[in-house]
Amino acid sequence: MIEISVDAAACNGCGLCVKDCPMQVYELRDEVSVPIRPENCMGCLSCHEICPAQALEHRGVYPSKRNYIDIRVCEMINRVI
Amino acid sequence: MMAEMTVEEMNQQFKTGTVFRAEEIPISCSPSAKDLEQTLHGVMKLNGLIIKSLEEIAGRGANAVTYRAGKKFGHEVAKYFRKIEDIEEALRELSYILHGQYTFELWKPEDKENYVVTENGETFIYLVFHDCIVRQTLRRNGMEQGGPLCQTLYGYVVGAIEEITGRRAKLEIVHTGPNACLKKLILK
Ligand code: SF4
Ligand code: SF4
Repeated sequence: MIEISVDAAACNGCGLCVKDCPMQVYELRDEVSVPIRPENCMGCLSCHEICPAQALEHRGVYPSKRNYIDIRVCEMINRVI
Repeated sequence: MMAEMTVEEMNQQFKTGTVFRAEEIPISCSPSAKDLEQTLHGVMKLNGLIIKSLEEIAGRGANAVTYRAGKKFGHEVAKYFRKIEDIEEALRELSYILHGQYTFELWKPEDKENYVVTENGETFIYLVFHDCIVRQTLRRNGMEQGGPLCQTLYGYVVGAIEEITGRRAKLEIVHTGPNACLKKLILK
């Protein structure tokens, strides 16, 4: 079961996640996104990519393979940050 | 890392001095998968560029070419599967066989009772694709999802399903995401 939480303090109420989600998981209430149907989430994480406030958090999502990531570049970035 | 090696060191690692005879095909892969990362990224880059060029030259016709290629591949691979009439079972078997390249599952929203849905005269099943080599290739190249390279995957699934079940089908994209994509398999 996927659990979704929204950081209400960070959310700016833009509604992009509401529009983007194909499963109508979110609804705007008092200008804050609320996950009203988390059971319908299929874990695509496109809402994460689209949220300008990075206010979303998902738990229990199957992490798909990411063999395209350049491990050496990530290691270098990690050293800098 | 391979990039920091000299050619000589690389040759040693790939054991280029070894003589292979037809009957002595090595069953293990050397070097290790981690060391093949650069090769994999190279293949992804090449595939991405081929598709980009195809799109530039053939325009929308690129989709037809890649779809057909995928469909042929699907038919070719699934020829060796046992024939199954039950579509759900066929899809589960296909997912099991493709595991590693494409991991997908049958999916339904909470309020639906069955995976096979008939609505407005159309019978379909939703599929969620998790692991996908196409998505990874596109992301490696900074390309959009849903274009001609995705058509190879649609063709592949349709071809395999047609071959296994004997039913004609069509795959439509519903949503693409960085971690999973939702597709609709329409049965005819
Ligand atoms: S996209 Fe992000 S900031 Fe916009 S409404 Fe959704 S959670 Fe809030
Ligand atoms: S991960 Fe996908 S399905 Fe789940 S809430 Fe986000 S956009 Fe919707």
